[in-house]
Amino acid sequence: MNARTLRVFAALCISLTALGAAAQEDGVLDSAVVRNRLYKPAGHPELSLSVGLPVQTHLTAHYFFNVGLAYNLFDTFALEARAGYAASRHTGLARSISESFLDREDKRVTDELEDLWQLNLHGVIGARWAPIYGKISLVADIPVHFQTYLWAGGGFGNLKRESVIQCTQVVDRAAGVCDNRTAVDDRGSATENYWVKESRVAPVVSAALGFRFFVQEKHGVRLELRDWIFKDSYRVNLLRDDWEAGNPTGEPAGSPGLTHLVQFDLGYTYSF
Amino acid sequence: MRPFRSIALLVAAVPALAFAQGAAPAQPTAPGSSGPETTAPASPSPADPPERSRTQRDAPAVPQTAPDAPAQVAPARPPEEDDAEGTPSQPPASTGPTSGTAPASAPGDAPVLDSGEAPRTTDAQQQRLVNGAPLYNPNVNVHIVQKKRFADEGKHELVLYPGVVQVNGKFTNHAGTALHYVYHLQENFALQVGGQYNWYSDESDFNLELIDKVREQAQAASSLLLQWGAHAGVEVTPLYGKFAFFNNSLAQFSLVLSGGAGVGKTRHLIRPEVANEVDGQTYQVPARFGDTGNKFLGEVGGGFRVQFGESYAIRLEVRDLIYTARVDKVDGCNLADFESLEAARAANQPFEGLNLSGSCKVAKFDGVDPETKKNYREDIILGRDLVAEPSSDVLNNVSFYAGFSVLF
Repeated sequence: MNARTLRVFAALCISLTALGAAAQEDGVLDSAVVRNRLYKPAGHPELSLSVGLPVQTHLTAHYFFNVGLAYNLFDTFALEARAGYAASRHTGLARSISESFLDREDKRVTDELEDLWQLNLHGVIGARWAPIYGKISLVADIPVHFQTYLWAGGGFGNLKRESVIQCTQVVDRAAGVCDNRTAVDDRGSATENYWVKESRVAPVVSAALGFRFFVQEKHGVRLELRDWIFKDSYRVNLLRDDWEAGNPTGEPAGSPGLTHLVQFDLGYTYSF
Repeated sequence: MRPFRSIALLVAAVPALAFAQGAAPAQPTAPGSSGPETTAPASPSPADPPERSRTQRDAPAVPQTAPDAPAQVAPARPPEEDDAEGTPSQPPASTGPTSGTAPASAPGDAPVLDSGEAPRTTDAQQQRLVNGAPLYNPNVNVHIVQKKRFADEGKHELVLYPGVVQVNGKFTNHAGTALHYVYHLQENFALQVGGQYNWYSDESDFNLELIDKVREQAQAASSLLLQWGAHAGVEVTPLYGKFAFFNNSLAQFSLVLSGGAGVGKTRHLIRPEVANEVDGQTYQVPARFGDTGNKFLGEVGGGFRVQFGESYAIRLEVRDLIYTARVDKVDGCNLADFESLEAARAANQPFEGLNLSGSCKVAKFDGVDPETKKNYREDIILGRDLVAEPSSDVLNNVSFYAGFSVLF
């Protein structure tokens, strides 16, 4: 798949380069372009608030709430610190798996599922590069100025993990109950569950592609596609007898890979 | 409305200009500054500096002597290249000199600068009009969305998307190539027909992980694979604009929205790739897919079309192919067919003479592959599992389309 992807990207790059070259030979690219920028953020600090929604969910879903503080070194380059909290939960699919797997006793040795860590508190510092400045004609007489940028940075995040496989105290195997609910059908009455839990603090990398639309002088709206990346960690060769007896089992996976949390971010920016 | 707005802004600007000329050093008149998007710097009184807008550049340096010659008018571009945001299409009333030589005489109403510094707009480059606007003049902030330089109406567009990659694959992964033809009926409205072939379509690693670790998998309808699709529809371009990359290259772009309907061919994974060991020799048996028929296809999408010159464009789009999925037959065989085939297989009987439905392609579940020695009869039970509990779903196959087009 990687080789295929590389071939596709290579072909695409060649095509795009050829098109650009042809266009420049024709003189259709004007060297004087969006010259007089209406908004010049250089030298200004800015404060931003953003909310991130998951683009896609598998076993977990995250909802990010971030505060950012940036300083624009140049019109096209800024440094930004972002921190926030991600409200996270298991998806319905994860819950369904956990309930049905309790009763699947034919599977007595298995591995933990990947990508089950949930990111909560986090903070990153990164650079924002905005080489593209443009404007669109929203309606005939309303131009909207924008920047397109790439963002990359790193930091740390607080992660927690709740297994959907290892229940240390099976309450009702057939019904898939692994908590202290008062009635089998009343999941909301549970105040404690017995799934194996872990937590850790780990390095986090974040990258984004975004648009910043200028609204008047000091305000802006940001739309981003942002990926939060951290190293996964899970155990393999788990023995059902051990985990149901409440004993640690298995060993860490050799190459657990990376977890990606891709978010669609909507943000507001105030420039000082 | 645009002239009225321009007039209103001009009228509103008169007191400010009067104040600027009376209470503060005068400034050179900026060419093309009468448009609503054009911002002349406020009067920069040293004693009482007004709060300066971030949109304004530094106030011009003010010389103590007046220019010797009236400013000359730089040649304006034809009207079709004028500011589309409200800057008048007529040439500016006065502009700076087009050469670097000092002016010869000053008109009576020429702005007089009262500082020792030379005006910043004496440079010919700064006075030059670009597409009818003083883009290089540091005293004037002008921002322009030009009229579209390239008209689309009546043009044909052939779009090749070499890379179409599914971005929402939870249980499936798709990658393919698409070819679209677009006829621009009007400037902002076009008809389109297109086809897409997915040269890679398979179940996702996530689905295989669920099968391996927890004996769960997506319902057949939720993991249906799209082999190819064809659709027809419309495309609208409600927005257009331009952007600069590092102030060096200009590109015109449009926001495109599309919608359509068509048909797509689907399949489902019956058996992943396995190793088949026969007589001490191991053969790699490729994954096997079963035909699940043609499905109705809906398409909605949006993206950007960046135009280079009159004939070329790049398209970056996201499209959602929506198809209904009900899996009750695999390779034309329904549950009753699979039950009959399984009974015959268990009894080691030939399949000829079985009472099967006419669409059932029984040959696909009979015989031995000569290369891998895989007995196709072993796949009957897998096919039956897919249709044992008929499932239905509406699938959204959201893909990123990267392509280029030729207009003619």
